[in-house]
Amino acid sequence: MNKKKRIIPGFGISMGITISILSIVVLIPLSSLVIFSAKLSFSEFIYTVTRPRVLSGYFVSISTSFIASLINVFMGLALAWVLVRYDFKGKRFIDGIIELPFALPTAVAGISLTHLTTTNGWVGQIFYKLFGIKIAYTRIGITIALIFIGIPFVVRSVQPVLEKIDIKYEEAAFILGADSKTTFLKVIFPEILPAIISGFTLAFARSIGEYGSVVFIAGNTPYETEIAPLLIMSELQEFDYSAATSIALVMLAISVVILSVNALAQGIVSKRVNGKI
Amino acid sequence: MAYVELHDINKHFKKFHASKNINFSIEKGKLVALLGPSGSGKTTILRMIAGLENPDSGEVIIDGKVVNNIPGSERGIGFVFQNYALFRYMTVFDNIAFGLRVKKTPESKVKERVNELLELINCQGLEKRYPSQLSGGQQQRVAFARALAHNPQILLLDEPFAAIDAKVRLELRTWLRQMITRLNITSIFVTHDQDEAIEVADEIVVTNKGRVEQVGSPQELYKNPATPFVAEFIGNSVAVENYQDFRYFDRKQEGEKAYIRPEFVSVFKKGESIQYANSAEEGTVCDKIFRGSSIEIKVKIHGNIISAIRSINDAEINLGEKVDVFIHRLYIVKDNEVILANNSSLVEEEMVI
Amino acid sequence: MNLRKENKALKYFLIIISFIFLGVFLILPLIYIIITALKNGVAAYVNAISDEYAIKAALLTLEATLIAVVVNTIFGVFAAWLITKYTFRGKKILSTFIDLPVTVSPIIAGLIYVLTFGRQSSLFPILDSYGIQIIFAVPGIVLATIFVTFPFISRELIPVLTSQGTDEEEAAALMGAGLFKIFKKVTFPNVKWALLYGIVLCTARSIGEFGAVSVLSGHLRGKTNTLPLYIELLYQGYDFTGAFAASSILVIFAVVVLVLRLVIEKRGEKNLDIKK
Repeated sequence: MNKKKRIIPGFGISMGITISILSIVVLIPLSSLVIFSAKLSFSEFIYTVTRPRVLSGYFVSISTSFIASLINVFMGLALAWVLVRYDFKGKRFIDGIIELPFALPTAVAGISLTHLTTTNGWVGQIFYKLFGIKIAYTRIGITIALIFIGIPFVVRSVQPVLEKIDIKYEEAAFILGADSKTTFLKVIFPEILPAIISGFTLAFARSIGEYGSVVFIAGNTPYETEIAPLLIMSELQEFDYSAATSIALVMLAISVVILSVNALAQGIVSKRVNGKI
Repeated sequence: MAYVELHDINKHFKKFHASKNINFSIEKGKLVALLGPSGSGKTTILRMIAGLENPDSGEVIIDGKVVNNIPGSERGIGFVFQNYALFRYMTVFDNIAFGLRVKKTPESKVKERVNELLELINCQGLEKRYPSQLSGGQQQRVAFARALAHNPQILLLDEPFAAIDAKVRLELRTWLRQMITRLNITSIFVTHDQDEAIEVADEIVVTNKGRVEQVGSPQELYKNPATPFVAEFIGNSVAVENYQDFRYFDRKQEGEKAYIRPEFVSVFKKGESIQYANSAEEGTVCDKIFRGSSIEIKVKIHGNIISAIRSINDAEINLGEKVDVFIHRLYIVKDNEVILANNSSLVEEEMVI
Repeated sequence: MNLRKENKALKYFLIIISFIFLGVFLILPLIYIIITALKNGVAAYVNAISDEYAIKAALLTLEATLIAVVVNTIFGVFAAWLITKYTFRGKKILSTFIDLPVTVSPIIAGLIYVLTFGRQSSLFPILDSYGIQIIFAVPGIVLATIFVTFPFISRELIPVLTSQGTDEEEAAALMGAGLFKIFKKVTFPNVKWALLYGIVLCTARSIGEFGAVSVLSGHLRGKTNTLPLYIELLYQGYDFTGAFAASSILVIFAVVVLVLRLVIEKRGEKNLDIKK
């Protein structure tokens, strides 16, 4: 191929600056992870990541993240629906406050949620006295923190898609005699399904890696409320970089799986919508 | 004298072969249309002349110089983009002045030139407006003025009328044609609308699937299409396979099919025409479409449905009516060539007279 | 207008659920922080936030944030320009790498810097001979902050630039304008609100980053403690008034960010109207 001349000037400098900064911040550190991983002995790796305490850490992280993200799908859908379809006082306020989890430092959210949900906290004591349920320092507490972290992901994925759905489709369904339940399930839901899946995936992926908001409310009891990122943190504090890297590699693999499942699901759904299946 | 020449140009976009051995030249001062269906490579040709794309091989020559390695900004061209690409955060004045200011023209000269152009495009008083505050036609004229600001030798226009309402489009066509003639600037414009090309251009370059099919004046394209594609594309042609069933056409001319254009078909009520009484064939009217200034009649004949145009002043023809159909001329396609066939009864009659 | 009679019961049910959910999950924690911070009186509050170490932590946070925002803005503008204005091979891979940092757990982000610059790294002796310490020091904190907010600016710019196409830039280039001129006169006015929005998000996240910074900080009071780390320290020392007082500053900041976001969004929409 001959040397390309580009009509818009500045290709060289843009490429240079982008690649330089990307290398320093992402590529070199990432390659050092790859190099370090290559040096790990396989048996040691397997031993580290199959220790019961580590397996329990993965289980706690995945299960609480999954439940929190599932709850966020329903609440996120409701919030997006309310924001797009209804007019009421305080709508602007709701729209603004939804991004609070993006704006508020996670540690601040963490300590506040913890204090609220201990057995003598404002919210915690209600649940403890009425139902005997403890929130802080249990997996319920972790789930609560992850709901806080994940909610904007679902709302912000679904909201724009819902806004774009032409009201004519619903009117068409209505004229054809469909009731509102059928209209929602058959007309609207398929349209927003890809957005729901991607909102769920984003929230799920973020929750699994979340540290700041969870670490205070979790209580960090081994086998009970110890999350995987915390295990990495403890290994780092003991300067056991091999163990930390091993645990991290499995987490990265989990993230890759989640993101690939999302990509796959998006592909299937969009194919169906475009009628290529 | 050839002013813009393209020599053996090839261009790929990844695996898509967008331009295949393009060769043509354009004379100075001509107004040329690049005409073809979408995806035929016409815009790619225009962009290569402008230096917005680089050919993979071949030469672009302007005024005798190979310009492949000269940036678009130094080729002496003005470019009008399809959606005008007016700078939306600049006023009309700043838009037109942009190129002059880039070239460090003294501000007094800039002002003089911009005012001159505003007068030319009849947009005095709009200089403080932003593009969003202009009508489509005004935007197009501003884009035209912006492209002309630095006195280019060549004006390139990409689908200049595509974004404009049908009614204004007709006015603008005439306006642009007059403007370009007045400035006597070599101009090339891209269009997919054959009426536009035929009406506006001195010369038309027909493109199809990355190739140039034919270059010629509108009349030439009309009368002597060089390839089956041109025969089919120009005019509202109807393809007919069994053209040999039609009377008074030389049966010896073997071909795959023939194209019939409505202009070359006459339809008469029974007994209406004396001239063609003997040579016409019978057809059945199967559709009638009111076109405003004329009526299109669709007639079934020898198993084909062909179109003809009748004046609204002619006697009314009804659906299902048996009519006399006379075909003046056919374009017979044979091995990628087009042979023109005239109705032999016409020739005989002329000889008699 | 919709011909159907809206289902009123459903509407109010959903609105009330939304208010309760957001009230409990988002607003209550905010209120709680402010109230707890002020529980022991205004004097104690002022005392807590004017603590020497609190101020030092705030200044370090500010420093890291400022550097991260500047670096990411420069990077984001060039990267977004590169991705949207040119065609080249490997564009997809480049975009993937740019977006990668936000999909990685902050703890893992910290880990990879430890592996890159820590004692066992082959870079360590070189850096050490120049007396440069990165991990457990300020440079590590800065790098971690840059990493976790890396795509924040480019992510806001790319969609806007993509929807704008390249015609205007091509037109300007055909008239002989250079990179700087095209960007300043033609592109920047189109993206300024998106850029500002990205900067606000980047600032917010930089100030609040906890996990990655926690890995790379030496946790030295007054030296390598950022504000969130300082809050953790107070909290673990059972100084709840101090922890919540320091938190209240970040709460106020978060509210400012949310308001700014709404304002920018509104201005951006207005801008869009002009364009149409």
